[in-house]
Amino acid sequence: MYATYVIWSKHMTKFWHSVGELFGLALQSILWVVLFGVGMRGMVGNVGGNDYMSYILPGIIALSALGGAVGGGMVLLDERLRGITKEYLAAPIPRLSILLGNATSTATKALIQASIMLVVGMLMGARLAVTPLGWLAAMLLLALFAIGFSGLALAVAAVSRTIGGYHGMIFLFNLPLLFASNALYPLKVLPTWMQVIVLLNPTTYVIDAVRALAFGADPTIPLLLSLAVVLLFAILGIWLALSLFQRSVLRG
Amino acid sequence: MSELAIEARGLVKRYGDLTAVDGIDLQVSSGTIYAMLGPNGAGKTTTINMLTTLVRPTSGEARVAGCDVLRQAEQVRRRIGVTFQDIVLDQDLTGRQVLDIHGRLYRQNGDLRRKRITDLVDLVQLGDAIDRIVKTYSGGMKRRLELARGLMTDPTVLFLDEPTQGLDPQNRAGIWSYIRDLNRQQGLTLLLTTHYMEEAEALASQVGIVDHGKLVAQGTPADLVAQLGADVIRVRGDGDSSHFVAVITGMPFVERVESDSDSNNISVYVDSGSRRLVEILGASSGNGYQVEDVTVARPSLGDVFLHYTGRALRD
Repeated sequence: MYATYVIWSKHMTKFWHSVGELFGLALQSILWVVLFGVGMRGMVGNVGGNDYMSYILPGIIALSALGGAVGGGMVLLDERLRGITKEYLAAPIPRLSILLGNATSTATKALIQASIMLVVGMLMGARLAVTPLGWLAAMLLLALFAIGFSGLALAVAAVSRTIGGYHGMIFLFNLPLLFASNALYPLKVLPTWMQVIVLLNPTTYVIDAVRALAFGADPTIPLLLSLAVVLLFAILGIWLALSLFQRSVLRG
Repeated sequence: MSELAIEARGLVKRYGDLTAVDGIDLQVSSGTIYAMLGPNGAGKTTTINMLTTLVRPTSGEARVAGCDVLRQAEQVRRRIGVTFQDIVLDQDLTGRQVLDIHGRLYRQNGDLRRKRITDLVDLVQLGDAIDRIVKTYSGGMKRRLELARGLMTDPTVLFLDEPTQGLDPQNRAGIWSYIRDLNRQQGLTLLLTTHYMEEAEALASQVGIVDHGKLVAQGTPADLVAQLGADVIRVRGDGDSSHFVAVITGMPFVERVESDSDSNNISVYVDSGSRRLVEILGASSGNGYQVEDVTVARPSLGDVFLHYTGRALRD
């Protein structure tokens, strides 16, 4: 898996050198929290005893990780369309490392973004639980979640012929993942049929677990179950990406 | 007998109904430069893609640097260098980063990478530009960087797909001289594709002419040319040339007559151009054919190409 590390470090090198991307990531993080958090807080007040800022922050963080994964898929699509993947394909490295290098760099950026958001969120009144171990576990879950969704985005990128086609497909994923989850409202306020959909969405599990681990909320889903679901999601996402990528490569 | 660096038997690649490569056999000896010459779309790139393990052949088999491209793809990849037809560089990295990352993908250690980069920057004369972002490079510099990347891992066989496409004459001559030096000084085996006649003539010790996915002729440039005859008399004219062609085809010293219908050129291959010129021109008078221009030349690879494919090769 050394090649994964090489490709990861290449993406990170480009990231640190791209003023636009760094600035965009920071500004996006701040805007998400400020605009979303402040607007919704004015309307809602608090949820289940917790202030809404603390409630919504894990959701915003998870959703921004989705945005990051979409960007990661774009990178692969761009490299595919411009032929840069050929350099990897002709090298003695596993195909999987190309995808993992991309997904792990996406996850790294998602964690950087999450950290900025946590700081901004705290400045805006979110109350973090003082459990460094919980933070670490929450970060791990977020990373797995980002890798899983990167897998989905990479799978779409592996078969898309155009940038427009890619975004069209991604939009189909993105919207339900955002709204059919517990990101913005608690599970119990939803009608049963909607609860079923929400429980099929891995976003729900990562958000519930992060709320419990980092913000001291009571988990509505057992933590181990959440971990299992997110881990499975990460594996399935990468597996899907790999099988579609292999197929598109073999077709030549 | 020298060892074969590349050996392919019956390579076929089909995409649905389209047959891109239609049964190509190749033998390239170690330490030679082999040029696949053919028009765009003839199947050269697909052949390279199969030999470099990027594309799986529909049928047939190939060995590169002693390893099977299907069963030992990993070993083949370790032993080859490739440059692709399009410029395939990460534009947001510096030239040095491009080479360094490439070396790391092949698990070269830091000292070796630094040494290789120093040597290669020297070879392809990139100088200080190596620390600039690739985006700022000219087309020729990008090509040279790609050549350096292909050489970074000290390959046994180097594949170059259209290495000088779109370059100005000066850059082209530069790339040619690097290729020749590598072959001569290090015994590197090169397989390159080109649709430039001059390129094949200038570099190759073996030429394969590819048309419609088939290898239609193969040999040294000198042998291929010699098969056509000692000299060629090119006649360009107006009117009905059928009588003229019939008469000269019957002459004992004429080895072959070819007409290119696109350009109205008639090529007459003879044992000696200067000696037979008068007789050939004598046969052209009357019968509705008017000669406008005549040249006597040694046949070129261009004539070989015309001979085997029935049309001239144009850029």
